[in-house]
Amino acid sequence: MSLQEQAPARAGRALFDFDRLLTLVCVGLPLLGLILFFAYPMLIVFLRSITVGDSFGLGNYAEVLSSSGFWRATRHSLIMGGATTLLSVLLGFVIAHGLYRCAFPGKWLIRGIIVLPLLAPSLVQALGLIFLLGRNGVISRALGVEIEIYGFWGLLIANTLYALPQAVMIIGAALVLLDARTYEAADVMGASSWRQFRDLTIPSARFGIMNAGFVCFTITITDFGNAAVIGGDYSVLATEIYSQVVGQRNFNMGAVVGIMLLLPTVLSYAIERQAMKRQQAGQATGQVPYHPSFAPFRDLSMAALSLLICACIVAVIGIVVYASFVALWPYNMSLSPKHYDITLAGGYSSLWITILISLAAAAGGTVAVFLLGLGLRRLPQALAQPIQILAAMPAAVPGMVLGLAYILTFNSTATPLYLLYGTAALIGIVNFYHYHTQAFLTALTGFRQLPAALEEAAGSLGAGLGRTARDIVAPFIAPMLVSVFFFLFMRSMVTLSAVVFLTTPELSVAAVTIMRLDDAGLTSQAAAFSTCVMAVVCVAVLSMKFTLALMRQRGESGETA
Amino acid sequence: MYLTVRDATKIYGNFTALDRVSIGIDQGEFVCLLGPSGCGKTTLLRLIAGLTELDGGEITLEGADLSQLPARKRGFGIVFQSYSLFPNMTVAENIGYGLKIRGAAKTEISVRVAELLELVKLPQVADKMPGQLSGGQQQRIALARAIAVDPRVLLLDEPLSALDAKVRATLRDEIRQVQRALGIPTLMVTHDQEEALALADKIICMNHGVVVQAGTPEDLYHRPATRFVAEFMGISNLLSPEEVDRLFPNLLATRPASGKPQLACIRPEQINIAKSVDGAATVRSISFLGNLRRLEVDSPVGMLTVETHGANPCRAGERVRLHVSPEACTWVDDDGDLAEAVPT
Repeated sequence: MSLQEQAPARAGRALFDFDRLLTLVCVGLPLLGLILFFAYPMLIVFLRSITVGDSFGLGNYAEVLSSSGFWRATRHSLIMGGATTLLSVLLGFVIAHGLYRCAFPGKWLIRGIIVLPLLAPSLVQALGLIFLLGRNGVISRALGVEIEIYGFWGLLIANTLYALPQAVMIIGAALVLLDARTYEAADVMGASSWRQFRDLTIPSARFGIMNAGFVCFTITITDFGNAAVIGGDYSVLATEIYSQVVGQRNFNMGAVVGIMLLLPTVLSYAIERQAMKRQQAGQATGQVPYHPSFAPFRDLSMAALSLLICACIVAVIGIVVYASFVALWPYNMSLSPKHYDITLAGGYSSLWITILISLAAAAGGTVAVFLLGLGLRRLPQALAQPIQILAAMPAAVPGMVLGLAYILTFNSTATPLYLLYGTAALIGIVNFYHYHTQAFLTALTGFRQLPAALEEAAGSLGAGLGRTARDIVAPFIAPMLVSVFFFLFMRSMVTLSAVVFLTTPELSVAAVTIMRLDDAGLTSQAAAFSTCVMAVVCVAVLSMKFTLALMRQRGESGETA
Repeated sequence: MYLTVRDATKIYGNFTALDRVSIGIDQGEFVCLLGPSGCGKTTLLRLIAGLTELDGGEITLEGADLSQLPARKRGFGIVFQSYSLFPNMTVAENIGYGLKIRGAAKTEISVRVAELLELVKLPQVADKMPGQLSGGQQQRIALARAIAVDPRVLLLDEPLSALDAKVRATLRDEIRQVQRALGIPTLMVTHDQEEALALADKIICMNHGVVVQAGTPEDLYHRPATRFVAEFMGISNLLSPEEVDRLFPNLLATRPASGKPQLACIRPEQINIAKSVDGAATVRSISFLGNLRRLEVDSPVGMLTVETHGANPCRAGERVRLHVSPEACTWVDDDGDLAEAVPT
């Protein structure tokens, strides 16, 4: 072989390809973030859990495992998780079945009400229950009975209300997968509607129900807000971590409890992901949506049940709004805006800073998951797979554990990361990584819908990665990016568990302020502050709906006009 | 050769999608890659486009190596089966996108777009969105988009497969006209032999990641090299030498000397059929297909397919005599289903 023959090949190889570099940057930056702000803190929390004095050992574990407090909290967490899961999956199935498999008017109302608990910090359910059923609650006073709402029952109701929207969404998504033709075939074969329910609906929702169960369980045992406000003496693992760290300044013990809390959530998350894969595998394309016809007994009873559950949600959330305007609960029930004058130091500053942090987390997070999704498409599978797994991991980590990991990592002068400690930036970062999985998976869904041929067509027309991303990819997945942005914004507005460790007297966020107001006995002001947060989040929801509708309209006018 | 692929190899895990495939396209030539699904034809097209990386071999354009050049720098035009118009851009923006990337002036782009819309016979749709067009129209726009930048090679990946029969036939002719008019060397992937026969200057028939036979449509139809090609390119009656000996002994003399197992390939329209009370064969069934009739004939060596034009020569159940002239018979290598035969 002559030299001339080899020359062109070598020249080609030496050619600098800007797109490769860009791909590396697209994947590299978000990956660096994941390592620095997720993997590394998690490693630190693990190391701290096995740090005894100046050396490593299992002493902390031995101490925790031998303490009766820990076992009580674990038992409570598991019982509470199990009970909440049962209740919310059952009620969630009723509502999802009503929404997607029954015919009655006013479904939009149920759809709207069911997501209300997601728009508020989790402790709002607890506040609402106290206003309804507490010692000075409307219902307790009307009935003249004293109900002990602090503890198991109060926490169970609050957690159920909080987990319910997730259950409805997941089970609903499973139900709509079964398409109209299947029911039509069953009709033609002479199956009664009860048989159809038993033989078609239930089996098709099986994975959805299982999934919903795992999600509800995880949400419940990791939630801090409700437990802190209405748990009373009913200690759970999340409050146990808080009292170890904030109460006793015992970071290593907190780390141990955190690792213990991680076990069930990781397990449940892993099973849930497997179940999800199986459900997706069964998914068919070209679905014909099912339109149920009216069946009086089934539909009226389902409608009544759904409305009853919705009424409870409205009552619990509504009473918080109402109570925020009551002059002196429960003695002077005249309306007055005076509780909106927040007397706690800082006043509304934490609300404004939370809005800023949430906007920043949402914007930065959306860009990060977009870049990551864009880059991963161009990496070989063997490389993309592990990164994808890492990107989907944060959902398995309870907010309390992540927050604790952050305090251990960033409140240590060992690394320059210390500079971030106590800044709003770090709170934005923890919010993003706390909800990284959901944001990433949503973006990934968008990327999956993007046909590879579109990018290839752009590429063969001469467009580089940057140009393709701007002209083709971003417009195509814009609706998903909008969803990611508002999801991150809303979660950042209301989350409490991860940030509770990272706030300082100078820098607080809305959910923490609500907790402090409630701790200080200023319950009405806590209600007022909650109402403000809910108002902001409602505005965000409406903006999202409006933006998405606008996008859809533009897309449709392109198709029909 | 203008574009040359030499020993192209592509391996996915344990699966060899392409095994040392060599093909060439001449200036202005229309070449069809034909084969069943999974034969490697699309992989080959994607390698040429630069959308997939070679595991071995090389691709050269006018002697220059393309292997390391990314798709966007090859200057090829590509049309996909799924139309793949950019949904967020108007028709005009779609067609002009390649020119815009190349920094062409606005007026220049709009002149060129108007020209191309005329060429694909859709002058009135410039401001519509892709979603407002029918499948056939979208594919025309995709074609216009691909040729807007005067591509060095035009690559068509099953461009007609998603369309219904009528549209497919019209668009097929239009693609041919446009390609002839512009003289762009074109490579089209298809699994439809009729499409390949109608369009191609040269057909490259592939199976299991190798080229089985390459040649003109006439060559492949009338002189298939292997059983696979004979069966893939339309209907054929394949008879072993023993069967030929019993049925058409006059054909044996045409058999070339070869150590390999061979079969006689006789196309249905090459069999002359005549009613005869002492004929050795019986007509089993007749399908009327409009321009021709297809007869299933029970012969002493099994069922044969015969096609006739014009008046109906016989009825089902009648005895017939069959005749084939020696020049109508081709001997093919019996490669079974594996097509391990060496390319010609």
